[in-house]
Formats: sequence, C-alpha cells, structure tokens
Amino acid sequence: MMQMLITGLICGALLGFVMQRGRFCLTGGFRDMYIAKDNRMFYALLIAIAVQSVGVYILIQTGLIQFTAGAFPWVAVIIGSFIFGIGIVLAGGCATGTWYRAGEGLIGSWIALFGYMFMSAVMKSGFLLPVNQAMQATQLPNNSIAETTGISVWVFIAILVVIVAAIVMRELRKPKVVIPSLKPKRKGLGHLLFEKRWHPFFTAVLIGVIAISAWPLSQATGRMAGLGITTPSANILQYSVTGDVSLINWGVFLVLGIFLGSFIAAKASREFRFRMPDTKTGINSFLGGNLMGFGASLAGGCSIGNGLVMTAMMTWQGWVSLIFIILGTWTASYFVFIRPGKSNAASAAITS
Amino acid sequence: MAKTLEVVGQVCPFPLVEAKKVIDEIQSGEELIINFDCTQATESIPRWAAENGHAVTNYEAVGEAEWTITVKKK
Repeated sequence: MMQMLITGLICGALLGFVMQRGRFCLTGGFRDMYIAKDNRMFYALLIAIAVQSVGVYILIQTGLIQFTAGAFPWVAVIIGSFIFGIGIVLAGGCATGTWYRAGEGLIGSWIALFGYMFMSAVMKSGFLLPVNQAMQATQLPNNSIAETTGISVWVFIAILVVIVAAIVMRELRKPKVVIPSLKPKRKGLGHLLFEKRWHPFFTAVLIGVIAISAWPLSQATGRMAGLGITTPSANILQYSVTGDVSLINWGVFLVLGIFLGSFIAAKASREFRFRMPDTKTGINSFLGGNLMGFGASLAGGCSIGNGLVMTAMMTWQGWVSLIFIILGTWTASYFVFIRPGKSNAASAAITS
Repeated sequence: MAKTLEVVGQVCPFPLVEAKKVIDEIQSGEELIINFDCTQATESIPRWAAENGHAVTNYEAVGEAEWTITVKKK
C-alpha cells in the first residue's frame, strides 16, 4: 500500500507538473487541427507515443514487464471514442486535462471531473453495465497489430519512429516566429520551471518518459498496466461510496498525483486561482464530463489510456480510438466554434 | 482609444475566439486590450498575434492567474 501510494503519487505529480507547465492539452490540440489548421500538439502526441513505444517494448523484450493486448471490441471502441471526443470539447479538456485543470483551481473542471467519475462508475459497475457489456461483446480476436499481420512489432515501431523523426525535422526547420512572452521575474531554475514556455516537443519527450516509467512502477504493485485515467477515476468514486479497499490501486494514486502536481506547478507559477464558470460553461462541463465517462468506459480508455498508451503498444484499439476521438473532437468543434461564428458573420452581413 | 475585451471567466479557446472577432472590427494600428484568466491563452493569444503579424505592445500578469495583453492590429 505504501509503495503504490508513493510511486503512484510521484509518477502522477510529475505528469501533472509537466502537463501544466507544458500546456499539454490534447483537446486543444485535436480541436486546433481543425479550427486553426495547427497540428503541433498532434505531432507532440506522436512524439510521446514513439518515445513510449520504444521504451516499453525494450522493457517487454528484457522481461521486466508483461503486456497482453487481448481482444479488440471494435464497435465499443469506435462509438465510445467518438462520444469521448465530443465530451472533451464540451468539458474543455480531456480526462487528464480535466484532472490537471482542476488542480489550477477551475471549478468548471471540478464539475466535469465529477460527471466523468460518476458516469464511468455507472458504466463499470452501475445500471449501464449491461449496455457496456453488450457493446463490448462484438470483438475481433486480435488486438495486437503485430499478431494480426504476422509482422514483428519492431517494424511498426520503426515506421512510427521514422515518421515522427521526419515531422520533427520538418517542424524545427520552419522559420521561427518570435512569440512575445511575459517579462521574466525570476532567474535560473525558478525561471525555467515556473516561467519559461516549454516547447511542446520537449514536453512530449518528458511525457513519453513518464509513460514508460509508469509500466514498471505500476506492475510492481500488481496493476499490470501503464498510465490509465478512467478506471482509477471511477475507482475513487466507487471506493468513496462502498468503502471497498480492493478498489484502491496504483492508478488511483496516479490520478490524485496529477491533481497534486498540477496544483504545485500552478501555485508556484502564480497561475492558481479558484475560478467559477458562468452557467453555460458549468452546464457544458457537466454534460461533457458525463459524455467523457460514458465514452471512455465504452472504448476502454481515454485520450491517455487509448490515445497515448494503447497506441504505443501498437494495438488496433489504440490507433482506431485515436482516430475516432479526433473525429469526435472535430464534430463537436464544428457545432461549438465554427457554426456560431458562421451564423454571426451571416447576420452581420445582413445588417450591413 | 484602445478597445478592451473582457474575457475573464471564459475558458479556452473562447478568449482567442472572441479576440479574433474583435480584431476584425478595429482599424489597422488600433490597439486591443484583452484581459483573460485562462492559463492556456497565455500561450495561444501571443502565438496568434505573432503568427498574424500583430504587435504585442503590453503583456503582463496582473495577479494570480490573471493576465492582460495589448495587441496592436497590423
């Protein structure tokens, strides 16, 4: 218990700290691919996937950790991921994003987080469990891309690494625009940690390394997985109402650590303040949180569990989920950001 | 006189969405003051200004998790 408390909290706190300081927001990243034609955060995610993939498969090869891909419940993954993608736009952050923004003091994220935990618990052990099970029942036998194709997993990892390296080189060669920054008030380490803007690619490498470390740390406590957000978040609520200690695992301390790490980062950077959302944002956060919980439970993971971890493990579930999360994000972005702008422009044209 | 956009309390990306709308309404050389408290906008607003060639004439933290930025339209 002590071990999972310490390593889980530390791993989570590092992740929360890095995400807060690096402004690592996948929801914003997926949304901006569409509304701003900006792929930087998506590329950053690919970097984190590639780093993790290489590291974790080395650990598997050396026998330090175990991984079985299992079956691929494709219907649940596709529908769940799409709904999750819609939910994160409404909630203003993905599951991890919501955890770390809760640590920045955003009450809207607290509301979203509650909705997310609640609906995840309803799907995993509540009255929607039969729905969840029925949709999971349609499965393809192999989740591992390597097993389906009969090609070594290292071939796929090599392809990914080459693609990512090409993207990074191309992006770093682009002429740089000087982005105005706040006047530095600190020097040395304080400036680097709490003021300086971090390059998203640098942040991505750190996240990849943290994601690798999660595997052996988690498995040492008997939880045979890497980073995961949805099940642990549901576990917190389930434990709170049942008192069943077996629900407490490494993942629970991981997500609590994200909250803690983000709070430390935000507080030290003078970016923490309790902020109350307006009514509309509050309602959207609650709805979005519930959709996130529903979708992620169905899909077997959120943008971290599926989008960052199962992709790195080279599973169908990971990559199919990532595609449908992005499509869900774009669909919701159209209705939330693009269409209102269009109707405004149209009415403005009429009045002039 | 500079126009002021108050988007304190709005979550990202709305501060930037609003800023893009308002910048279309002002003349070249005029300034737009944006007051916001969404952390992610500390990255997205100056980036947007720089990439679109607008000058940033003032940018500072006015309190805990509260910022102001002045953008001069290109």
